[in-house]
Amino acid sequence: MFLINCPYCGERDQSEFSAGGEAHIVRPKQPTELSDDQWAEFLFMRKNIKGVQFERWNHAHGCRKWFNMVRDTSNDKIHAVYKMGEKPPTK
Amino acid sequence: MLNFNAPIIDTKEYSEIKISEIEPILKINLRGKNRDFITKIGKELSIITPVDPNTSSSNEKLNLLWLSPDEWFLYSNDKLDIKDANSLEDKLFNEISKVKLGSVTNVSDHWIMINLKGTKIFELLSAGCPFNFNNFKNSKGAVTQTLFNHIDVIIHNKNINNLNLFVRRSFSSHLWSWMNDSARFI
Repeated sequence: MFLINCPYCGERDQSEFSAGGEAHIVRPKQPTELSDDQWAEFLFMRKNIKGVQFERWNHAHGCRKWFNMVRDTSNDKIHAVYKMGEKPPTK
Repeated sequence: MLNFNAPIIDTKEYSEIKISEIEPILKINLRGKNRDFITKIGKELSIITPVDPNTSSSNEKLNLLWLSPDEWFLYSNDKLDIKDANSLEDKLFNEISKVKLGSVTNVSDHWIMINLKGTKIFELLSAGCPFNFNNFKNSKGAVTQTLFNHIDVIIHNKNINNLNLFVRRSFSSHLWSWMNDSARFI
């Protein structure tokens, strides 16, 4: 259980949110030119780091907006929260 | 709103808590992104569109709640005459949806409004909400969308110790029973 600072609504309990997996995965420009393995890599393969990870989250039981979050998966410490389309923090 | 059937039709009183279903109430969901849309709804409803998160604005007849940066929830203060309700919906539809400024959806049957009054209402809410009501309860007009006993709700702090809670129709009977059960022990 931890608190997440929604960039739209403010600080809320984690139970109001749903995790949307790894962030910043770029869709290939020409999917038809990819092999099945490359397409599967884009579609299914995700990192599952123990440590700092860039993730997408949705405030499902609040404003229903998607946003990005930098979270340490080993201790749930949130390093940054930023809106979709914004650049990820470098530090 | 033709042949509206209220699922609860009841009022219950406990020590310092009064819970009552208030229906039928006009409820309209408004969605739009651009500045023209925000100006238009303010003009059509004679109300300032709340753009700050978790806020609302009201006039004598209507309340407009902020739900997200591109979504608002409009509801009437009083039980509306069906003719009045339809004319307001038509007016908004013609001025907003038809000209593609945004969307106007009548959600009167979708949400059920439950009014909670009394000094212990926040104790009742805290029994089932993960939301921190410390600042909320002293801010008149504050709005929040959260979970209440695992059910999605919209809560509008109408006045001190007087709030309106909106719950989806299919969950309303269950939430009503749960609230009555919990209120007995507060």
